[in-house]
Amino acid sequence: MREAGLRGWAPWLLLGLVAAALWAATLGRHLGAGLTPSSELDRLLLLYSLIPRAATALLAGAALGLAGALLQSALDNPLAEPATLGVSAGAQLALTLAALLAPGLGGLGREAAAFAGGAGAVAAVLALTWRRGLDPVSVVLTGMIVAMIASSLSAALILSQGEYLFALLIWGGGSLSQQSWGPAGAITAALALAALPAALLARPLGVIATGDAGARGLGAPVAAIRLAALGVGVALATTVAAEVGLIAFVGLAGPALARLSGARTTKAVLLASPAVGAMLLWLADGAVQSLPAGFDQIPTGAATALLGAPLMLRLLPRLKMADRPQRPVRASSRPAARTFAVLLALAALVLLAAVALGRAPDGWHAATGAGFAELWPFRWPRTAAAAAAGAMLGAAGVIVQRMTGNPLASPEVLGVSAGAGLGLAVVMLLATSTALPLRFAGSACGALAALVLMLAMSGARGVGAERFLLAGATLSALCLAALNAVIATASTRAFALLGWISGSTSAIGPDEALVACAAAVALALPLAFVGRWLDVLPLGAPVARSLGLGLQPARLALTALAALLAAAAALIVGPLSFVGLVAPHAAYASGLTRPSAHLAGGALNGAILMVTADLLARTVIFPYQLPLGLFASLLGGAYLVWLLRTR
Amino acid sequence: MNGPYSLGLTRRALITSLAATGLAGSLVAPAGAANLRVAAIDWAMLETALALGVTPVAATELKLFRRAAIEPAVPAEVADLGLRGEINAEMLLYARPELILSSPWYEKYRAQLERVAPVESFSIYEPGRSPYAAAEAASRALGARLSRAAEAEALVARADAALGERRARLAPFADRPFLMTNFGDIRHFRAFGADSLFADVLARLGLRSAWAGGSAYGAVASVGLEALAAMPEAWIVIVGPTPPDVLRSLNGSAFWRAMPQVAGGRVIDLGPVNPFGALPAALRFARLLDEALAGRDHA
Repeated sequence: MREAGLRGWAPWLLLGLVAAALWAATLGRHLGAGLTPSSELDRLLLLYSLIPRAATALLAGAALGLAGALLQSALDNPLAEPATLGVSAGAQLALTLAALLAPGLGGLGREAAAFAGGAGAVAAVLALTWRRGLDPVSVVLTGMIVAMIASSLSAALILSQGEYLFALLIWGGGSLSQQSWGPAGAITAALALAALPAALLARPLGVIATGDAGARGLGAPVAAIRLAALGVGVALATTVAAEVGLIAFVGLAGPALARLSGARTTKAVLLASPAVGAMLLWLADGAVQSLPAGFDQIPTGAATALLGAPLMLRLLPRLKMADRPQRPVRASSRPAARTFAVLLALAALVLLAAVALGRAPDGWHAATGAGFAELWPFRWPRTAAAAAAGAMLGAAGVIVQRMTGNPLASPEVLGVSAGAGLGLAVVMLLATSTALPLRFAGSACGALAALVLMLAMSGARGVGAERFLLAGATLSALCLAALNAVIATASTRAFALLGWISGSTSAIGPDEALVACAAAVALALPLAFVGRWLDVLPLGAPVARSLGLGLQPARLALTALAALLAAAAALIVGPLSFVGLVAPHAAYASGLTRPSAHLAGGALNGAILMVTADLLARTVIFPYQLPLGLFASLLGGAYLVWLLRTR
Repeated sequence: MNGPYSLGLTRRALITSLAATGLAGSLVAPAGAANLRVAAIDWAMLETALALGVTPVAATELKLFRRAAIEPAVPAEVADLGLRGEINAEMLLYARPELILSSPWYEKYRAQLERVAPVESFSIYEPGRSPYAAAEAASRALGARLSRAAEAEALVARADAALGERRARLAPFADRPFLMTNFGDIRHFRAFGADSLFADVLARLGLRSAWAGGSAYGAVASVGLEALAAMPEAWIVIVGPTPPDVLRSLNGSAFWRAMPQVAGGRVIDLGPVNPFGALPAALRFARLLDEALAGRDHA
C-alpha cells in the first residue's frame, strides 16, 4: 500500500524537477549563465520580480489546490472548484464594479470586494440547487451558469464604459508577472489563516465523506462543517483572484490529481492538493516564460488551462467518481399543438418587435410607414441572422442532448462552440484570406473535431453523465484558453477574434443574413427525417438494427449535422450564448418530448431567445450597443437559473 | 413620429425644411463639399475633420474620446454612434450625414454605412509604413474631399513647423531613448513600438524610441514591469489614460522606485493621447512631451 502510494508520487517529483529546471532557465535568461546578479539592477530583478513571481506561482497554486479540495469535500462534489462554482467569476464581477464605482479602493478593500462577490456567487448557486439536495451535477451546472452570467456582466460593464481590451486581457488571463512581494504576502496570509481551520476540518470532513447519516450518528454538525469548509475555500480562491486574476483549473486539477496519485482519505487529499496545485502552477508559469518572444506575454491563467485540460482529459477514465443516475427532466403534459401555437405567436411577436421597435435620441419609437421602410434594411439582417443562429443552436442542442441522453449537454457546455472558435482562429492565423466559406470551413472542422471527441467519450464504457459533462467543460475551457492566448497577442486578428467571442452582430449585412438563413434551412430540413433516429438511437444497436437502421451511419449523420449547425451559429453569435442549452430544455419542459416536436420546439425557442436578446442588446444602453452573444448569455443564463429553481 | 429625429423624410423634404431655417444654402451649394454633413467612424478622421474646421454631425464612442484623446474638443451637439466595435447604424441614420469618414479597420461595416451615405476610407496605420507621413496624406485627402485644401495645407505646415521648433528645443535630450508606455495596471504596461505614431513623432523630434522588440500594429500588449530593467538608460513616458490608482501604487512600489529610470527622475506622466490618431494627436503628443521635459535635466 505504502509502495503504491510512493509510486503514485514519483511523477510529481519529476514534474517538480522540470518546473525547477524551467525556473533556472528563466533565471539564466535574465541573469546570465552564472545565475548570480552581476549588477544592482540584476539584484533588484531577482529580488523583486523573479523570486516573487515563482513564490506567487507556488503560493497561488497551493491556495487554489487547497480551495478546490475544501470546496469538493464541503459539497461532496468532485467537479467543484472556484471556476465551476462561479467563485472566480463572482469575484471578478465584484472587482470590476469596485473599479468602476470606487476606483481608489486599496488592497484590503479589493480583497473584501472579491470575497463578497465570490461568496455571493456560491450562495446563489447553493440557494438555487438547495431543493435538489445540492446534487453535484446541478450545483456545477448552476455554478457554470452563474459564472457565465457574472463574466458576461463584467464584460458588458467594461464595454459600456468604452474601455477596451487591455485591462480585460490581463484580468481574464491571470498574469503572474510580479514586481513586489505584495501579492505573495497576501496569499501567504490567506494560506496561513486557512491552515488551522482546514486542519481542524479535515477529520469531520472525512467523517461526512462516509455519508451524512453516519456523520449525524457521530453527532457531527454536518451543515456547520460544510459551511465552514466552503467559507475557507471561497476566501482562498477570492484572495488569489484579487491578487493575480483568474487562474482556472488548478483548483480542479489539484485535488483530482492528488487522488489519482494515491491520496485516499480526506486528510490526505487536503494535504496533497496544495502541493500538487503549487507544482502545477509553477510548471505552467515556467512554461509560459520559456516561450519564444511574442508568445511569452501569454497570461499564465490561459496556460494552466492549456496544460491542465489535456492532462485532465487523459486521466478522466481513471478518475473515481460515483456516477449518479440523472434525474429526468419533468415535462409538462400540455398538448403539443397548444405549446406550438404559443411558441409561434411568441415568435411572431418578438420578430415584429425586433424590426419595429427601437430608440431614437428622443425616446422609444414604434416605426411605421416611411420611417419603417428606412430602418428596415438595418434591422432585418441582424434580426434574421439572430433568429437563424438561435434556431440552429436550439436544434443542435436537441440533437446533442438526445444523442447523449444527457439533458445538460449542449454545444456550449460540450466545447463544440468553443471548438468552432478554435477552428476559426486557426483559419485566421494561417490563411491570407478570411472569406466566409473559409471561415465556415474552419469553424465547422473545429466543431466537428470537438463533437466527435465528446461523443467518442460518451460512447466509451464506464463514462457516465457526470464524467461526460466534466470532459465537455474541460474541452470548452481548453479551447477558450487557446483563444485567450491568441487574443493576448493583441494583433488585428486578435481584435477580430475578440469581436467573435463577444458575438457582435452589428456589422451583419443582408448577404450574411441570407447566408445564415439559408444555412439554417439547409441544415434543419434534413432534421425532419431524423426524428425517428433520435427516438431509436438511445435504445441501442439491437433495437436499431431490428428497425432496419444502421447505428453507425445514423450516429455519424447526426453528429455531422449537429456540428455544422453549431459551427454556423457560432460564426454569428460566438461560443458563449447558452441558447443551445436553454432552448431544448425549455422545449422539453413545456411538453415537446417527442423527437420531431422537440427539434421544432428547440429551434423555435432558440430563435425567440436570440431575437429578444438582439432587440435588447440594441436598445438598453442606447446609443451604445452591446454584442449579441454577451447579451444572449445573460438572458439564457437567467432563464436557465429560473428553470433550475422551479424544476 | 414627429420631432427632430423623425425618419421617412426624403432628402428633398429635408432640404426644404432646412431651407425654412436658413440652412439650405450650405446643402445645395454646387461645390457642395464645403459644408457637407460629415460623420466620422474612425477617430483619426474625427480629429482631422475637427482640425480642418469641420464639425461632424456624428462620431463613434465619444465618451471615451473625450477621456482618452481629449483634443480636439468635440462639441456637445455631435451625436454619439456608440462603441467602435458595435457601431449604431440607426443613430447614424438619424444624424443624416452626407459623407461618412472611415478607415480600413471598419471595412466590415462598409456596406452598412454606404446604405446611409457615401463612405470615404482613409488609411493611416498600415504595416511597414510611417504613420506620420500617412497622416499628412490623409489630412490633404480629407481637405480635398471637404473643399478645405487650404486648411489642410495649413494644418500640415503648422504641424511641421511645430515639430521643427520643438526639435530644436529638445536636442539636448537626444542622447537617451524614450520608452512609450500605457499602463493597464500596476504590474503591466503596453509598449509602443517602432511602427507607432509616437515613435514616428519622436524621430521627427530628433529623439529615438527605446522599445526594440517587435510590435504588432504599433503596440505590444501587457508587458511585465520587469522589462524596464532591460533599458536602464531610457526615459519612461507614460501615456494615459492611466487607471486612477496606478501611479500612486507605483510610487509605493520598491521595485519601481529602484528602477534606474525612476531613481534618475526620468519618468514622464504625459496624460491621455490617442495612440492611433492623426496630426492633431501627433501635435498633442509633441506638445505634452516638450512641456513635460521643459526644465528637466537631460543628462
